[in-house]
Amino acid sequence: MGATVNDFVINVATANGTGSQSSNLILLNSLFEMGVPVSGKNLFPSNISGLPTWFIIRASDKGYQAPGDGTNIQILMNPDTWFKDIEKIEAGTVIIYNENVKMPVERDDCLVFGLPMTKLARGINPKMAKMIANMYYVGVIQHLIGIEQGALERAVNRQFKGKSSAVEVNLKAIEEGRAMAAEGIDWESPHVVEAREKDENAFLVDGNEAVALGSIYGGITMLSWYPITPSSSVAEGIIQWLPELRDTDDGESTCAVVQAEDELAAAGMVLGAGWAGGRGMTCTSGPGISLMSEFIGLAYFAEVPGVIWDVNRVGPSTGLPTRTQQGDLNLVREASHGDTEHIVLIPGTVEECFEYGWRAFEYAERYQTLVFGFSDLDLGMNNWVCTDFEYPSEEIDRGKVLRTAEQVSAIENYGRYRDVDGDGVPYRTLPGSGLDPILYRGTGHDEDGVYSEEPDVYRKLMMRLKRKIDNSRADLPAPIMREEDGQDVGIIYMGSMENTIQEIDDMIEETGLKVSQCRIRAMPIHPDVEGFIERHERVIVLEINRDGQLYGVLRKELPNHLVSRISSVAYSDGMPPRARIYSDMILEALEGMIP
Amino acid sequence: MRPVKLNVIDLPKSDYTGGPSSLCPGCGHDQISGVIIQACWENGIDPRRIAKMSGIGCSSKTPAYFLGKSHGFNTVHGRMPSVTTGANMVNKDLVYLGVSGDGDSASIGIGQFIHAIRRNLNMVYIIENNGVYGLTKGQYSATVQKGSKKRKGAPNKQPPIDMCKLAINLGCGFVARSFSGAKKQLTALMKAALSHRGMAVIDVISPCVTFANNDESYNSYGYVKDHGEELHGIDYIHHFQPLNEVDIPEGGYEDVQLFDGSVLRLETLSSEYDHTDPTAAIGALHNAEIDKKHVTGLLHHNTEMPTADENQGLVDTPLCDLPPDMLRPNPEKHEEIMARFRA
Repeated sequence: MGATVNDFVINVATANGTGSQSSNLILLNSLFEMGVPVSGKNLFPSNISGLPTWFIIRASDKGYQAPGDGTNIQILMNPDTWFKDIEKIEAGTVIIYNENVKMPVERDDCLVFGLPMTKLARGINPKMAKMIANMYYVGVIQHLIGIEQGALERAVNRQFKGKSSAVEVNLKAIEEGRAMAAEGIDWESPHVVEAREKDENAFLVDGNEAVALGSIYGGITMLSWYPITPSSSVAEGIIQWLPELRDTDDGESTCAVVQAEDELAAAGMVLGAGWAGGRGMTCTSGPGISLMSEFIGLAYFAEVPGVIWDVNRVGPSTGLPTRTQQGDLNLVREASHGDTEHIVLIPGTVEECFEYGWRAFEYAERYQTLVFGFSDLDLGMNNWVCTDFEYPSEEIDRGKVLRTAEQVSAIENYGRYRDVDGDGVPYRTLPGSGLDPILYRGTGHDEDGVYSEEPDVYRKLMMRLKRKIDNSRADLPAPIMREEDGQDVGIIYMGSMENTIQEIDDMIEETGLKVSQCRIRAMPIHPDVEGFIERHERVIVLEINRDGQLYGVLRKELPNHLVSRISSVAYSDGMPPRARIYSDMILEALEGMIP
Repeated sequence: MRPVKLNVIDLPKSDYTGGPSSLCPGCGHDQISGVIIQACWENGIDPRRIAKMSGIGCSSKTPAYFLGKSHGFNTVHGRMPSVTTGANMVNKDLVYLGVSGDGDSASIGIGQFIHAIRRNLNMVYIIENNGVYGLTKGQYSATVQKGSKKRKGAPNKQPPIDMCKLAINLGCGFVARSFSGAKKQLTALMKAALSHRGMAVIDVISPCVTFANNDESYNSYGYVKDHGEELHGIDYIHHFQPLNEVDIPEGGYEDVQLFDGSVLRLETLSSEYDHTDPTAAIGALHNAEIDKKHVTGLLHHNTEMPTADENQGLVDTPLCDLPPDMLRPNPEKHEEIMARFRA
């Protein structure tokens, strides 16, 4: 049997803090440099040093980016997970292990090769042996699957940013590992890579950095944040890019950055900035949204623009802080007490992370409300292939702000909360302008902003707010639909599920069913979604959580006759979605329909 | 008809007033609102440049009752400082006047109070301190002294959180205590606070006439009148006021130079007191607590620290007024960044 080409999963089991991130990214980048469609997932613990971590690299000519349902090449470096890792491996798997761990590998049914990696690394540099040891498995894999030397060297150079001493030492270890593998391995590798034509425009980037850049292009003027995994790198990305992209020639800043005392304060600062006419933003994860909820309601009710990015991790409570989920949808859609609803932008690619990074501010000021970005750990912290961040197609628009007395007097009967245009969005004036000032408040208020407990005033205000957010539906990013002619089954999904959907789709189509896809990219739900459901006999709502939160939102927002057509498939175990689990669940839900 | 008196920027006092108060008649907070109006008018601050900030509670309702020509934000309970921080970051040119209460600042909002001081947010932070939660009908707050008793119920058993002591410990550059009924002292301190650059905290004992104005309450009118201890007589001298118009005190005095060029003249009643020495202030507050007294006046003053917005290194134009081309990298820069990603 010949070797499979560009279709395998490498799983590296190491301990946190041993420097394996460099070797894993070198592997990932080497394949990327060869033009092989590749994805990498870092499964790391909530810990700085010592706990187990796995890195999964998948090469797939079909472009599948999920971690895959099994492992083809297992690297064993971590004694703590040694036996569990070995136990999970299927027959025929390639096992590469560090002999210096001094633990047995009793798997006659697998292709096994060990090297004294730590000892060899000590020979190169005793002080850095722990880090360099990882380079030996890179060398072994290079030999096994046939990574081109040029691609490997480019990847090493990128990893160490051209620092020649580091590049040299690590290349030496990799070469030693490769040579020893060539010498010592007497079996054929069942998996190989073949170079493909590389898109010269392609690069790897994580979603959080894309959001950071997008925010800077969106004219952020105040970032407040409180550190929380997996969102911190959004803030750190902004901080890192600001001096180059937004400082004046004199080195003066055009964006304030405040590390807040907690998430409540971070949200308060976003409101303060939006109220004063700035573009304020914070980034957080589920626990932070819980804490921010009171302010979120105030922003909704007092109509203050602002942006909050939620990079989802696994809840409830502290949950699994370094694992991924789409578990905060209900929370962000309706955060805070009373009747509230919020605009939510849901990127499914790093390109969209960038785009929604700047668009969020536009929507926030256009609708004078908080806008949420809804990302997750998988999209935010893993590297994805991207070809371009498209330069913003629209000029910055500050929305309905009255800046002169003439503008105010041109409006008949101006009031801060009076809907003069009939679109639900009133005009506002800014502090410092002296134009028709009001005391913003979270208490009931009339169209002039004056305190009121009048039943009619309250009801009218609440209905206008509903109309205002409702009017954003068609203006928000439309769903991406890939429809088959057969139109048996439609799958509605969102966000980072984009990276697994095609593999799921292919698995289901093996049964003969035709599957269409509809990726929702914003809430409230775009009007086009109804049409998609109308055109399909059965529609599955697919998501990465336990309760089917997107399904719940759809049930609430769809007309009654469409509700019976949708069914929920929701699953979450903290891991990035693996296609087989979801396709099996979908097929179960479709029982009776399968030809 | 008598001509209307105008301030230094030619505005009548009526340009500084607000809507009618809905607080209980006789509430100390209304006296403080009157002082705010007087101080802002006399200092000649353009009301359009003032931002009124508050949290939740009786005190936090008062921004509706003064400075009707200023924008304001009545936020959520205990969170006025963070909203003020965000606003200050994008518009450092406004005069931020925060009004809070003892419940708002000493309990639910104590974290934000502390961190706003730590950042040296450029604002005046007024605590209208009556020792009780008025709007929820008179529960004790965390600033009430041990042994003080409100109108109903048992005396308070827990020691107070002294907000002035706390602020001084945190390095606040302007800390004062006053009494809502001490109009002259409070007005001078309010004007001095408005002339200070950086965080200025004024804790104003402000009797709650409904729930704690009985003689056993240490925050009642009667008690404060009998147990108040002024550190110094006090006079505020505007930077635009010719010096010959100012009364020279007969005894000793000391001038405190304020950021905008104005002067706070302290007539020394107690010659040992040094307002530049934070330990002296802590000692005075500590002794007053033991003696069940209220020590009032400028407790501590220090102008050495940069403010929160100065630490940001921002452009001179307030960020909220920046033109779009300063808010977004241009397409050429974008291409350069993309090329770097692809390299």
